[in-house]
Amino acid sequence: MPSQPVEVSAAAGISAVPQPIYMLDELWRESGAASYGLEREQFREILERIGTAQNFGLAPDATASRQQQVNYFRGLRLADLVLARACAGGHQGAWEHFLSVYRQPLTRAAIAITGIETLGRDLADQLYAELYGLTTRDGVRRSPMDSFRGKGSLMGWLRTTIAQRHVDHHRRTRRELSLDDPADGNEPQAAVAEPENTPAELLLLSKAIEEALRQLAAEERFLLAAYYLDERTLLEIAPLLRVHEATVSRKLHRVTGQLRKQVIRNLQAQGLSKPAAQEFLGADPRDLDLNLKKTLQFSLPGAFTEKAVPMRGMQ
Amino acid sequence: MNSTSQLDLHPDADGLNAFVEQALAVPEREQILAHLAGCSRCRQVIFLAQHAAVEAEAPATQPTNKPTAWYWNWRLAWVPTTALAAALALVVTFHPWRTTQMPELAKAVPFRDEAVPPPLPQERASAGAARKPAQSLAANSLAGNAEFATRRRMPEELVQQSAPSAAPPAEPGASAPLNGVSSAFLSSPVESTQQKTTAQFQTEPAVAAWQQEQQRSSGTLSASADASRQIAQKSMRAEAYTVHTSRQTASSGPRMVQQSQSMPASSFVIGTQQQFAGSAASLKTYPPKLPSGLTAVSSATVQHLTLEIDLAGTMFLSDDSGEHWEPVARQWTGRAIEVRAKTGLSGNTATAGVFELKNDAGSTWASADGKTWSAQ
Repeated sequence: MPSQPVEVSAAAGISAVPQPIYMLDELWRESGAASYGLEREQFREILERIGTAQNFGLAPDATASRQQQVNYFRGLRLADLVLARACAGGHQGAWEHFLSVYRQPLTRAAIAITGIETLGRDLADQLYAELYGLTTRDGVRRSPMDSFRGKGSLMGWLRTTIAQRHVDHHRRTRRELSLDDPADGNEPQAAVAEPENTPAELLLLSKAIEEALRQLAAEERFLLAAYYLDERTLLEIAPLLRVHEATVSRKLHRVTGQLRKQVIRNLQAQGLSKPAAQEFLGADPRDLDLNLKKTLQFSLPGAFTEKAVPMRGMQ
Repeated sequence: MNSTSQLDLHPDADGLNAFVEQALAVPEREQILAHLAGCSRCRQVIFLAQHAAVEAEAPATQPTNKPTAWYWNWRLAWVPTTALAAALALVVTFHPWRTTQMPELAKAVPFRDEAVPPPLPQERASAGAARKPAQSLAANSLAGNAEFATRRRMPEELVQQSAPSAAPPAEPGASAPLNGVSSAFLSSPVESTQQKTTAQFQTEPAVAAWQQEQQRSSGTLSASADASRQIAQKSMRAEAYTVHTSRQTASSGPRMVQQSQSMPASSFVIGTQQQFAGSAASLKTYPPKLPSGLTAVSSATVQHLTLEIDLAGTMFLSDDSGEHWEPVARQWTGRAIEVRAKTGLSGNTATAGVFELKNDAGSTWASADGKTWSAQ
C-alpha cells in the first residue's frame, strides 16, 4: 500500500483558504505542463494545494507575501512535479518520458541501496509497478507519485522511496537491527553503568543523561545518533548537515564535552558533589558510554504522521 | 522526558529527499532534523539515498580517472608550438608574395649577361657604359652573392612566364607594331627609375637595386620612387604585351626582352623624360620614323614646324608635318632629352614659334625656328 502523505502544515492547522497563485501563467508555461495535457486550472490546483499545505515554506503562523509565494514556487522542481502528476494521471507521453529518463537510474539506485543486484532489480520492478498505479483504493487507482511535491528532484525522490521500502522491509524482517552491521543480533549492549555501580546509581545517571540530551539541539542529537549509534562516518554526515567533515568532527567534540558537563551538573542537582559526580562518571568523563539508542529515539509529537510502509511482496 | 515515540510516524519521501538535497527551508529542516535525531529508520533511509546518489554520480566522474594519452600531457606545449607554426606559415606565405611585388628589380639588374644579344650600332655607344655595371653584377653573382642573384632571377622569370598571357597594353602608343627598339623603349623605364632614385646605379647597380628593395620593404621609399615604380609596372605590362605580339608575328620575342635588360641608355632617356615632363604626354610612344631609325622620345610642334629628339639625343626638324626630317646642328651641351613648345602666360602656344630644349643636365635652350638655339 503506498504511503499517503499528510502535509505537515495542514496537520498543524494551516488555513485552507485558497490563495491566489501569482505568476501562474508563467509558471505553467515554464513547467511544460501543456505537453502532458495538464491544463492551466489543474496546474493551479496542484500548486495551491502544495503551497497551502506547506504554508509556502514558512512557519505555521506566518502569512506568505506575494514575493514569498513566488519564491516558494520558483524553488519547486516544477518540471518534475508536472511529470510526476502526469504519470500519476496515466498520461502515456509522460510515462514514456519517465521510462526513458528514470527507468535505468531507478534500477541502478535500487541495486546500490540493496547491495545485491537481484534484490535491487526486484525492488525497482515492484516500485515501478506501484508507481504505475496498480494499487487501487475505493476503486481509484493510486500512485505514490501523487505524494511528490517537487521540493527535491524526482530522481532523489525515487531513491528515497526505494530506500524507504528497503529499510522498512529489512526492519520488519530483522527488527531494530542496523543494515550496516553484519553481526546483527550480536550488538554489544551499551554499558550505561559500570558493573560495580548499584541500580540506584544507574537510575540516577540515566535521569541525568536524559535531561542533558533533552537540552541538545536537534542537529546535535542527530549528530550523536548518526555517529555513535549508526556509526556513520564524518564524510557521510557532513553533506547532510551542509558542512565540511572537519566541522562535523569539531561539532562532535564540542557536543560531547557539553553533554559531559551537563550530566555532571545534573548529577550535582541530584545532591552529589562535583568531585563525587566526576568520580561517578569515572576517571575520564569522555569515556562515558551512553545508551543513545534508547534515549535519542524520541521526537516531538505530531510532527509527522506518515507511517512506515512495508514493501509489497517482500514481507 | 515527556516525549512520544515516533517510530511509526515519519516524514514522507519528499521531505526526506528534500532534506538530503538541501532543499528545505529552515523550519522544515529543523523539523526533519529533530525527527532524524531519534529515528534510526529515517536516518538509514537518508544515508542509503545519499549513498545511491553518490553511486549514480560515480560513473560520470570515473572517466576523469582514466589514464590520459601521452600526448595530452603535452597540451601546454601545444600553445607556443601552434603559435610558432602559424608565424612560420605566415612568413612562408608572404615572403614570396612580397618578393614578386617588385619585378622591377629584374629589369634593373640583368642576370644572364651572356644571353643579351649585341645592341644595335646606334645604341652601342650609349649603352656601353651602362653594361659595365651589369657585367660587374654578373661577376658578383658568380662570386657567391647567391641571395641577390635569386632576387634578380625571380622577376625575370616572371616576365617570361607572363608573356604568353599578357594583358592588352596599358599605353595607347604600344598598340602600334613594335620592333626590338620599341620594346626596349617600353621596358626601359624600369631601369630608368632605378637609375633616378639611386645615384649609385651607374657605379654599382646591383647594390643600388638591393638597397632600393630594402627601402621598399621598410617603407622608406620616397614618393618619387613610388611614382617611378608605377611607371615601371606600366612598362612591365607593355613589355609583356610586346613579347606577346612579337611571338604572334614570329619575331624575336625573347631577344626583345633580353635586349631591354641591356638598354640602360634608353632607360635613362625615358626616366629623365618622365622627370622633366611629369605628365602622361611624356610617356607617349613614337613610331620609328626619324632618319636615325631610333624612336623619338620628345616632340614639339608649333604651326608647321615639328621638332623631335630620338633616343640618342639627336634632334630633327620637319617643316612638312613629319614627312621629311633634317637633323639640327648640335648647339647645346650634354644630351638633349626634351623639346617642347614654349607657352605664354595664357597657356597657349606661342605664335612666334618658340621652342625650348632641355638637356640631361637640366639646362635650357630656346629657339624660334628650331634651327638656331641659344642658352637660357
